[in-house]
Amino acid sequence: MGQGTPGGLNRQGPGGDRKGDGADKKDKKFEPAAPPARVGRKQRKQKGPEAAARLPVVTPLTKCKLRLLKLERIKDYLLMEEEFVTNQERLKPQEEKAEEDRSKVDDLRGSPMSVGNLEELIDENHAIVSSSVGPEYYVGILSFVDKDQLEPGCAILMHNKVLSVVGLLQDEVDPMVSVMKVEKAPLESYADIGGLDAQIQEIKEAVELPLTHPELYEDIGIKPPKGVILYGEPGTGKTLLAKAVANSTSATFLRVVGSELIQKYLGDGPKLVRELFRVADDLSPSIVFIDEIDAVGTKRYDAHSGGEREIQRTMLELLNQLDGFDSRGDVKVILATNRIESLDPALLRPGRIDRKIEFPLPDIKTRRRIFQIHTSRMTLADDVNLEEFVMTKDEFSGADIKAICTEAGLLALRERRMKVTHTDFKKAKEKVMFKKKEGVPEGLYM
Amino acid sequence: MAPDPNSASGSGTRDETSAKLPAKDPKKKEDKKDEDLSEEDLALKQQLELYVERVQDPDPGLQKVALESMRQEIRTSTSSMTSVPKPLKFLRPHYGTLKAYYETMADSDLKKYLADILSVLALTMSAEGERESLKYRLLGSEGDIGSWGHEYVRNLAGEIAQEYAKRQSDEGPIDDLMELVQEIVAFHMKHNAEPEAVDLLMEVEDLDLLIEHVDATNFKRTCLYLTSAAKYLPGPDDMLVLDIAYMIYLKFEEFPNALQIALFLDNLQYVKQIFTSCDDLLRKKQFCYILARHGIMLELDDEMVPDDDDRYALQDIVNNVKLSEGYLTLARDIEVMEPKSPEDIYKAHLLDGRASAGASVDSARQNLAATFVNAFVNAGFGQDKLMTVLSDASSGGSSGNWLFKNKEHGKMSAAASLGMILLWDVDAGLAQIDKYFHSSDNHVIAGALLGVGIVNCGIRNDCDPALALLSDYVSREDPSIRIGAIMGLGIAYAGTQNEQVCDQLRHKLTTILNDAKAPLDVIAFTAISLGLIYVGSCNEEVAQAIIFALMDRSESELGEPLTRLIPLGLGLLYLGKQESVEATAEVSKTFNEKIRKYCDMTLLSCAYAGTGNVLKVQNLLGHCSQHLEKGETHQGPAVLGIAMVAMAEELGLEMAIRSLEHLLQYGEQNIRRAVPLALGLLCISNPKVNVMDTLSRLSHDTDSEVAMAAVISLGLIGAGTNNARIAGMLRNLSSYYYKDANLLFCVRIAQGLVHLGKGLLTLNPYHSDRFLLSPTALAGIVTTLFACLDMKAIIVGKYHYVLYFLVLAMQPRMLMTVDEDLKPLSIPVRVGQAVDVVGQAGRPKTITGFQTHSTPVLLAAGDRAELATEKYIPLSPILEGFVILKENPDYREDH
Repeated sequence: MGQGTPGGLNRQGPGGDRKGDGADKKDKKFEPAAPPARVGRKQRKQKGPEAAARLPVVTPLTKCKLRLLKLERIKDYLLMEEEFVTNQERLKPQEEKAEEDRSKVDDLRGSPMSVGNLEELIDENHAIVSSSVGPEYYVGILSFVDKDQLEPGCAILMHNKVLSVVGLLQDEVDPMVSVMKVEKAPLESYADIGGLDAQIQEIKEAVELPLTHPELYEDIGIKPPKGVILYGEPGTGKTLLAKAVANSTSATFLRVVGSELIQKYLGDGPKLVRELFRVADDLSPSIVFIDEIDAVGTKRYDAHSGGEREIQRTMLELLNQLDGFDSRGDVKVILATNRIESLDPALLRPGRIDRKIEFPLPDIKTRRRIFQIHTSRMTLADDVNLEEFVMTKDEFSGADIKAICTEAGLLALRERRMKVTHTDFKKAKEKVMFKKKEGVPEGLYM
Repeated sequence: MAPDPNSASGSGTRDETSAKLPAKDPKKKEDKKDEDLSEEDLALKQQLELYVERVQDPDPGLQKVALESMRQEIRTSTSSMTSVPKPLKFLRPHYGTLKAYYETMADSDLKKYLADILSVLALTMSAEGERESLKYRLLGSEGDIGSWGHEYVRNLAGEIAQEYAKRQSDEGPIDDLMELVQEIVAFHMKHNAEPEAVDLLMEVEDLDLLIEHVDATNFKRTCLYLTSAAKYLPGPDDMLVLDIAYMIYLKFEEFPNALQIALFLDNLQYVKQIFTSCDDLLRKKQFCYILARHGIMLELDDEMVPDDDDRYALQDIVNNVKLSEGYLTLARDIEVMEPKSPEDIYKAHLLDGRASAGASVDSARQNLAATFVNAFVNAGFGQDKLMTVLSDASSGGSSGNWLFKNKEHGKMSAAASLGMILLWDVDAGLAQIDKYFHSSDNHVIAGALLGVGIVNCGIRNDCDPALALLSDYVSREDPSIRIGAIMGLGIAYAGTQNEQVCDQLRHKLTTILNDAKAPLDVIAFTAISLGLIYVGSCNEEVAQAIIFALMDRSESELGEPLTRLIPLGLGLLYLGKQESVEATAEVSKTFNEKIRKYCDMTLLSCAYAGTGNVLKVQNLLGHCSQHLEKGETHQGPAVLGIAMVAMAEELGLEMAIRSLEHLLQYGEQNIRRAVPLALGLLCISNPKVNVMDTLSRLSHDTDSEVAMAAVISLGLIGAGTNNARIAGMLRNLSSYYYKDANLLFCVRIAQGLVHLGKGLLTLNPYHSDRFLLSPTALAGIVTTLFACLDMKAIIVGKYHYVLYFLVLAMQPRMLMTVDEDLKPLSIPVRVGQAVDVVGQAGRPKTITGFQTHSTPVLLAAGDRAELATEKYIPLSPILEGFVILKENPDYREDH
């Protein structure tokens, strides 16, 4: 039915099919003219088995006896379900039946199946598909395909002869996004950060606590902040702190570099941003860390090239995802940049980014800590006096200090010494400071 | 009992984060720790170490100074959310030393001081379950408990709960604990932490203490917490909690809330107490409105209302006399007075082409469906396009035109539909129905009798017209007339157990039950009617009569579908009465085995309806998990029972929907038939999308009975909502099933239900913010659903008029504001989705996504209203149904 009538592709198509269906009625489910229920991906999430399996939300969030009682009630029901299902499985194993059904479905699908692209849905049971080789076909959709999940543009499996839609290739997540997920926690922990106590506390309050102890915020009666931006000179530990957050949290941690969001084709960048946040929402609670946000987040101005406009559109999508119409649940955002003044003000407004955490160059105390951290695993000669470097007037960042230590170690290595001496450090410092000032004649702006 | 989760987890994570480093490489711990510290920290640490040393000094003066300063350090340190306060952190290593020293100290004030400090230190130090914090607290100086901060108090509360449980089992004294509890409760109540105070008191089983500590600022939140906790507490704790809430409400003269709790407890003594303790006539009127909505026919006496005239006025409100008027005002305001014909509902023009072919199905069935649709849609409006129009246009002869387009038993439903159209309007109703009494057709007379009952549904009139008109017909020869009269009486007097009228009725009806010659259907309907009249009364005599009637049935009669209504009549007597059913349940075990289990399930489901009792749900699920031989029927009531028990609270409701999904997957046909009905009951007048989807899927089921049940349930979940999606589904179904007369009939009924009262009515038995369950409403719905368990024999057979039992649950879903003279008053209100605000801090918004309308307004399921003006003060905090407004004396017009 419906097959081989590509001529009837216009509006009358469905009507014609309906008559055919009415004729062989009853044994086939037929729902005429149901409005296409799909509105895009959002719809996909609420429907399907996941939605059915979702447990009701328990209020209040505060830890109290009422919450305990409610959760216990849910547990009771779940236990009953379990009992019922195991009973039934014992009495009448479903698996065999399912196995049978599955083999039937496999027969219908045939083998091999070809992979195609869904171009357009015509009605409930028909669609236009295209295969990689070229021509487009008007084909039927078999009844066992989950129609709620079909949407134009998705990859489908087709029968090898009649090309009807027999399955759906679900790559739930854009592979671009799945790479962003941090699978292995970084090794850096809070302990590896010298100083920055205030910053650690702020980021903990804004990012970690809302995920672990939401009730604290409800107690007070405020909404926890949605995101933070870390800014400050290069090498002051912004990325390090983000790594420490990833290390300490059990939430999903997605990390992106701003430049990754710039894509070759029009619309790909915003799509990636959307996908990123959708995945974050699916895997919530989660933390999204976007490093070097200035790659996409610079102030808007009259763009001359299409590329610039595209970058701005990517930022607009980011704005929308941060505080747009759809509310994000347990998704926290950390941005990092060293040029906060060039960012678009809309990106930084409260509600999108509620906390701006500055990373200053380390003061003397912090510098000492950082030296301690980096030299703690080095074998130092007795004559090394770190205080000299700590007290120096030069502007060091954390990264500079690390470079000095490494450089000193390298110098010692060059001379095949087992210990790093004070002279090594001195030389290393000069080298690093020279590199840093390189190209900028000192005193030019003085 | 688990320890207070707050303190346990809160301090746990704190330790973790701060102690991460030492834990990682224990070797370096010592030397590294010193290095890590900044200068101030180091100074502080040394300072504290000094104090610790000094405390152990023999000189008491020095000790005192040291203790004082240590105390000072701890108190002044601002604890942050993310880490342990520094003084506590630095004192950790010295906890053991201090403890050891404490033991050696001589009794003195100083010792107590030290105990205080140890108690605080134990907050982070003592091992889980040792309760050292509490121990030292009890030994300490008993100073102000709040001075050590919230976290300390919380931890202490948790330890008290554990200690109490332990002492209970050892039967140790608890006096010292209770003193501490007093202090903690006072502290919590002062600091907006009502839930914690209540939790602690629940743990130590002394909620009475609460009454002393509540004040005008926090009693509302406290009571809200108590009432919502009551739904989840096991008995008898829940009753206790509600009692406390009632007492608190009474103490603060929040009478409407107190009345709600009294009604929830079904305690008429409390209701009386409220009436006697309130002097304001206006407020009493509001109470009467609440009573009327709940469906309780309360006889006011002079103790409750001293003045005679006042009493009559109030009694009128309780008797629902003004309901029709209010409903019509609402209809006029919303401009839906225009009667609708069934075709307006079917909207066949929206379907393409094929609907016209439907004419081929037998027209009597179609007309019958139209009759029902017409009745449901125009319910209570007093006018329609089939039954009333013609009789107005010309007199006599042509009046019965539509009536006579129905055949035989169809005429009964048609005549009765007039009662539905004139619902609640007793005078006009009786006048219009009267002409059918003189008809020569028995079915028409029967319908007229039923119509009289329907008109009087929920309304009490002093001259009892229903009783006067119907009682003679009860003992007529013709079975359909008898059924009409009996059903009419059942509907008109549902839930009026305590009055003299009922004694008469009982005599009449029980004699029928004992009459061996009476046909089965008459007996079945008599049992149901008795069940309705005595709903939830546990009346012994009636129960006996029904039991005897059931025992008298012959083997073959017991197999009839109608017989199954008799146990239901019995069950309704015990609706929601829990344990009281047990004696009768014992008796039911002696019945013939054909009906025994069925009776057992019915009684169980009815008795625990609306309780949320998980154990009973488990029991019922257990029955559903068996796979039976053909012919056993008891699983249907069991499935319905799950819905009846679980519908009590939102969580149970959603979880029950999940469980029903499993039943669908694994169950045999007889279970699958009941599942859609159970879903319909769970979400009645509340079209949840997921349930709608499930039902829509089932409506195409290959088993036609499952499909019929699903279609009817689609109507039930959309009842009175005008939900466009359901209406669309049903329209499509009507063209899909255009050849199947039975299914088409069900689709039509469902369409009528969706547009019930043109969208002004609801069938939801829960009202007042989903807190109270109206027993009569539930009884009406349950009766219809039990009848639907056997679709073929009852609904699409010749007993379709059981659908009229739904009238018991019909209520306008409105908010009507009236002034002090009970005249409608139009003011702006905000209507929005209700938000659960239990246990939230501050004054959170109770509704979200609201729109502002002016009253009267319609409230959908889950909606809540609040006044948008401060000009008036509502006399009831729950803005549903009729609400009396008083002018706000403090209101000043903004300029």
